[in-house]
Amino acid sequence: MKRHIALFFLAAAVLLVGCHPKRPPAVLTDPGRTAREHPPATATPEDQPINTGPDIQPLGRDNPTGEDFSVNDPSGENGPLEDVHFDYDQAVLSDQARAILEKHALWLQNHRQAKVTVEGHCDERGTVDYNLALGDKRARAASEYLVSLGVAGDRLRTVSYGKEKPLDPASNDQAWSRNRRAHFVVSR
Amino acid sequence: MAAVAFAAWWVRATAAQQPPEDKKVIITGGGQRFAVPDCLPRAGDEASREACRTLTQVLRSDLRFEGLFQFVPESLFAALPPLNPESPNFEDWRSVGANILVILRAQVTGGELSVETRVFSVDGRQVMLSKRYSGRADNPRVFAHQASDDIVALTQYRGVARTKIAFTSDRDATKERRATKELYIVDYDGYNPRRITVNNSLNILPAWSPDGRALAYVSYRQGAPSVYVAHIYEGRSDNITKNEGQSFAPSFSPDGKRIAYSSTRSGGSEIWVASADGSGAHRVTSSAGINTAPTWSPTGQEIAFTSDRAGTPQIYLMDSEGLNVRRLTTVGNWNDAPAWNPSKEYSEIAYTARLEVGGFDIAVIDLASRQVRQVTAGRGSCEYPSWAPNGRHLVFACQRSKGGQWQISVADREGRNIDTLATGPGNNVQPDWGP
Repeated sequence: MKRHIALFFLAAAVLLVGCHPKRPPAVLTDPGRTAREHPPATATPEDQPINTGPDIQPLGRDNPTGEDFSVNDPSGENGPLEDVHFDYDQAVLSDQARAILEKHALWLQNHRQAKVTVEGHCDERGTVDYNLALGDKRARAASEYLVSLGVAGDRLRTVSYGKEKPLDPASNDQAWSRNRRAHFVVSR
Repeated sequence: MAAVAFAAWWVRATAAQQPPEDKKVIITGGGQRFAVPDCLPRAGDEASREACRTLTQVLRSDLRFEGLFQFVPESLFAALPPLNPESPNFEDWRSVGANILVILRAQVTGGELSVETRVFSVDGRQVMLSKRYSGRADNPRVFAHQASDDIVALTQYRGVARTKIAFTSDRDATKERRATKELYIVDYDGYNPRRITVNNSLNILPAWSPDGRALAYVSYRQGAPSVYVAHIYEGRSDNITKNEGQSFAPSFSPDGKRIAYSSTRSGGSEIWVASADGSGAHRVTSSAGINTAPTWSPTGQEIAFTSDRAGTPQIYLMDSEGLNVRRLTTVGNWNDAPAWNPSKEYSEIAYTARLEVGGFDIAVIDLASRQVRQVTAGRGSCEYPSWAPNGRHLVFACQRSKGGQWQISVADREGRNIDTLATGPGNNVQPDWGP
């Protein structure tokens, strides 16, 4: 009997524990910035991180699998479609960039399941806001040229990273020219 | 029990001395010399003495930061007879040149800190302010910040000691997730860092709501960059641009009811204005090139932004519905990231300028005279300015040497007293100074 009671309490305890979230919801204590004479809240800072919502994973585009091709590099680098590069503060496609995009269009004709996110990137020499817009221009220039070559627009998506996600973090001419690019992440 | 009754009386008594809501300016002029002697612990225990040391140091540094007052050197205090906090000898303080005397007393009892601040006019031989604060003893800095703001409230300005700065940092990036940036907030002096986002994605460009309860920002957590509004005291974050195109550079209107941002949903990068919840979004620019980085005038009637419509990034002004567009900056071939001074006292816009070959600097343009003054020089590259809520200081990010770490710095509006904040590890960028 004692044993049954003990089991009952154990089960109840497990249930109770199960009812509670694993961590308390991380909410900042209001510092009561308007409090005046006796503001206990002013002096109760919380060091917990503030959870701003569900931790949504990025879409599965970084880790594609497929029948007719496969990319195993989770960083999305070294995919089947090579980068095209741009001059400093430019979003104009060079002849070399066009030649590369023409190969990409052919590849996309042969891989009709493939969808592509065209990422626009910039080097670090420039301001944050402007580079985000410049990255968008680069991604769009590449994407629009692919469409002009017959790739369906709904297979392409553009995302600008500005200077927020450099391929090469170094600060020299070589790194900068590698970082001024449109990058192609393939998924299906 | 008697102490509680006394405290209640004291609080009521001091409440009666409050200046009325239509603010009475009690301390005027820049020549006031403050004496801030060491805080007096009410009890001899180490916790009270330790709290007192922090309070003294933080209050002095808060008041100094405001740039409104002069200070009697602390070395002169040693020669004075011991301070009687109940009834200071004003002659002593007059003899060292003080006009205003600030007395701090503190006591820690059972994890609870109680702080008394009294501010005396030495010339008038009377109390200008007396306040008692009590709360948990973990962070005495908060008490000093509150006291500083209450003292600055005796002037025509609002103090910044309890304001916070939001920024983004790559300190949580890992080898697997190199592009991770998370939002942080710190006290205005760089202390007390707290992480806001926890989604291991790229979270950038934080912008405070005017009430300090929300941060708009750009997150890539669903793939495409979208504007989110994090209600930081409720632990909730809403995607307000719903992944329609890519969205960047959010900025709340001064009344907090509207939000401007740039979006590619109609093709190129254009400025859009929506209600703070994202509804009613409409495009307010239409030019072939880049339009981004909106910032509101203090009245909410105008917006400044960056555009490359004339070939290089320059700053333009328009009314908040997109009419009456005119170019503001003409010097230099790269001007971006405008930040309109929120104080109606100063009609000016800070921005990032390429004034010399290579790096960027912070500059301020006066809207009436169009005169440009350079805030940073020879500090490597600095960008992304944001104003303190009272418009008297700027925060921005600087990289002192090529390839070095980005750190957050503050300066007064003339570019004096530039100071780097110890906000923690990693590259810390895109600061936004909140209420």
